[in-house]
Amino acid sequence: MSNKVAIIASNGGLFDAYKVFNIATAAAASEKEVAIFFTFEGLNLIHKQGMHALPMPAGAEHYAEGFTKANVPAIPQLVEMAQELGVKFIACQMTMDVMSLTTEDFIEGIEVGGAVTFLEFAKDAAPSLTF
Amino acid sequence: MKSSLQLDAKGLSCPMPIVKTKKAIDTLKPGEVLEVQVTDKGALADIPAWAKAGGHIILDQSEEAGVITFFIQKA
Repeated sequence: MSNKVAIIASNGGLFDAYKVFNIATAAAASEKEVAIFFTFEGLNLIHKQGMHALPMPAGAEHYAEGFTKANVPAIPQLVEMAQELGVKFIACQMTMDVMSLTTEDFIEGIEVGGAVTFLEFAKDAAPSLTF
Repeated sequence: MKSSLQLDAKGLSCPMPIVKTKKAIDTLKPGEVLEVQVTDKGALADIPAWAKAGGHIILDQSEEAGVITFFIQKA
């Protein structure tokens, strides 16, 4: 049985962030080795400022109240929790170049790599997930 | 039932009950028992699945007035 979970985060909305970080923290808390590859809009999720203001999907703004009511943790809190549990964050170098971003734009403790970096990690991971 | 440590995870939603439970059990020695209280209905399935993944044993599980209590023995 694989002890690795590989996740690709390629979208930058609030819902996407919850899908990515909930699965990642749950897996890490269950003794899995977890890596997330952030690419294209997914880079938003670990962007120093961007992660604090992730957009809701158009027309879904009314769910904001539901998040508060359900006492769902804020994304920065989930990110901190994920890092504390040892989840590896890999930012896509190519997308960073396209968007003129540097490691300074992101939270502390991330790695920068290319597709092969992720593929090497993911080759014996199960499940591999894309959000 | 006796426990070495009590964790109050009431009012928290997924994935925090699991994260807090993991952190709490990390502080125990093998064989010691953790008592966890949650109100997240998802934890009904999640805590046993989490325990299975780590080899921990659910000694007892009960529900009263919306509060679910687990007694988990560390592997």
